[in-house]
Amino acid sequence: MVEKEEIMKIAILSKLFVADDEIEKLTEDMSRIISFADTINNAADEGVEFDNINNLCNVLREDEVKPSCDREKILKNAKDSDEGCFLVKNIMK
Amino acid sequence: MSESMIGKLHSMLEAREISCVELTKSYIEAAGRDNEKLNAYVTLTPETALETAKAVDKKIAAGESIGLLEGIPMTLKDNISTENIRTTCCSKILEDYVPIYDATVWKLLKAQNAVLLGKTNMDEFAMGSSCETSYFGGAKNPHNLGHVAGGSSGGVASAVGGNIAVYGLGSDTGGSIRQPASFCGIVGMKPTYGAVSRFGLIAYASSFDQIGPITTSVEDTAIVYDAVSEYDPMDSTSQGRKGAPVCDTLKKDIKGMKIGIASEYMDGVRDDVRQAVENAAEIYRSLGAEIVYFDLPALKYALPVYYILACAEASSNLGRYDGIRYGYKAERYTDVNDMIKKTRSTGFGEEVKRRILLGTYVLSSGYYDAYYKKAQNLRGTIVNAFKKAFESCDVILAPTVPMTAFENGHAVSDPVETYLTDICTVPVNIAGLPGVSVPCGYNAKGMPIGMQLIGNSFCEAKILNAAWQYENAANIYRAADFGVKI
Repeated sequence: MVEKEEIMKIAILSKLFVADDEIEKLTEDMSRIISFADTINNAADEGVEFDNINNLCNVLREDEVKPSCDREKILKNAKDSDEGCFLVKNIMK
Repeated sequence: MSESMIGKLHSMLEAREISCVELTKSYIEAAGRDNEKLNAYVTLTPETALETAKAVDKKIAAGESIGLLEGIPMTLKDNISTENIRTTCCSKILEDYVPIYDATVWKLLKAQNAVLLGKTNMDEFAMGSSCETSYFGGAKNPHNLGHVAGGSSGGVASAVGGNIAVYGLGSDTGGSIRQPASFCGIVGMKPTYGAVSRFGLIAYASSFDQIGPITTSVEDTAIVYDAVSEYDPMDSTSQGRKGAPVCDTLKKDIKGMKIGIASEYMDGVRDDVRQAVENAAEIYRSLGAEIVYFDLPALKYALPVYYILACAEASSNLGRYDGIRYGYKAERYTDVNDMIKKTRSTGFGEEVKRRILLGTYVLSSGYYDAYYKKAQNLRGTIVNAFKKAFESCDVILAPTVPMTAFENGHAVSDPVETYLTDICTVPVNIAGLPGVSVPCGYNAKGMPIGMQLIGNSFCEAKILNAAWQYENAANIYRAADFGVKI
């Protein structure tokens, strides 16, 4: 069973607001989803460590200088930009 | 049998029976007309399509030879990045996002003069099984508009099944190519993890996501797979196709091939689907294949393992949507933190928020070991179980989905009940294996049923060979009454 307070805490970590009229339904949904997830605890842990699929290993290459994306083009997708930078409200006084 | 539409159109173009502009116009016209009912496309790109078609006609007129995919009208799921063409992931948060680069798969197809008709509908961020979590409303099933096209690549399946695109590329994280292909009575393949580059695919769960083809015939799936399965240095998990092109061995004899059926895949499957898959096994016997039966008890935990791990990865991948660099941004806010929270809370839909919350929960301190770590270990158990299974068979035959397409609105009401319908598709993503869905019948209401052929890693050639032999012998495909008729 998941408590409302727990959902509120997870929402803060997820950077999401949960409106007052959403919390009841969300807690109910999350409780059901988490008890569904809980079924894995019935499985015996065979101690198989999972590393990655299909024997992937680190891909290394020489460090080469290549042209990067155009700054103006990148900024076109931002709602607010100024002097070639993304614009956000000040975070320090 | 279901013939290769790509092959047929290619021959017509080469023989100058039809020009590429004429062909493209007929698809643009049909898409414009039928999309009102199917809701398959979220963005149409007639200008770029005609521009490419003209270039192809010029080549043909000059007597140059053209490639198989050259001039063939197609579509891409709207989570595959296309330079200068908006790519929304069918989310409010990316509603006006225009990529500044192409996904590698699109780069490869564009270089072959593929004619892009537009971008297709999907569940928001590929999270869903009915296409109904899309910000633009769900895509409809071309065999019955009262039913969903499936998800998450519902738009591609609806467009290809509705003949308003010859083929398309979708993405499959837990069944998102195979399930809608099954629901719409067509073919869809999720390749081996790493066989097709993910560069430019907007991430949902990076260790599960894989791009693959959706087509009306097995041969077309093989053609498209061969065209996009190249090693890509831009994707650190890319390996490319191993071995010869799959088209080379597509029509090989399958006498003596061992086809496995695992009891776990048949549990809880509706009668009409079970019967269709059992009939397929009979056809395989008549083709000289041997059917072997075994158990895969590790599959019991596949669904919760998938949802825990996929949501954990999603919660991290979707952390990037903050309204600062691209996409939707909240209008009124007090400070940066408030802006990010408001942007995400209004920009994401309900299902996406639920999965972010679940992912954050299983990764948070106190729960990490019980959920995330345990699920990772069980992933290892499932990988090993499949490895062992392939010691006694060449391919595994299973249903693609335990039922036929849901009625509109059915899937959105209960999240857990909807998750359970992914039971037959998620194991392949957990183990990184290739799986192809092939039409294998219709139920009493005329809704398509699909079966799945699963292979060992990088054994796409084997499953497509088995799929082609079945398709050729069973002759199941029925074109829906929409789109271009050729």
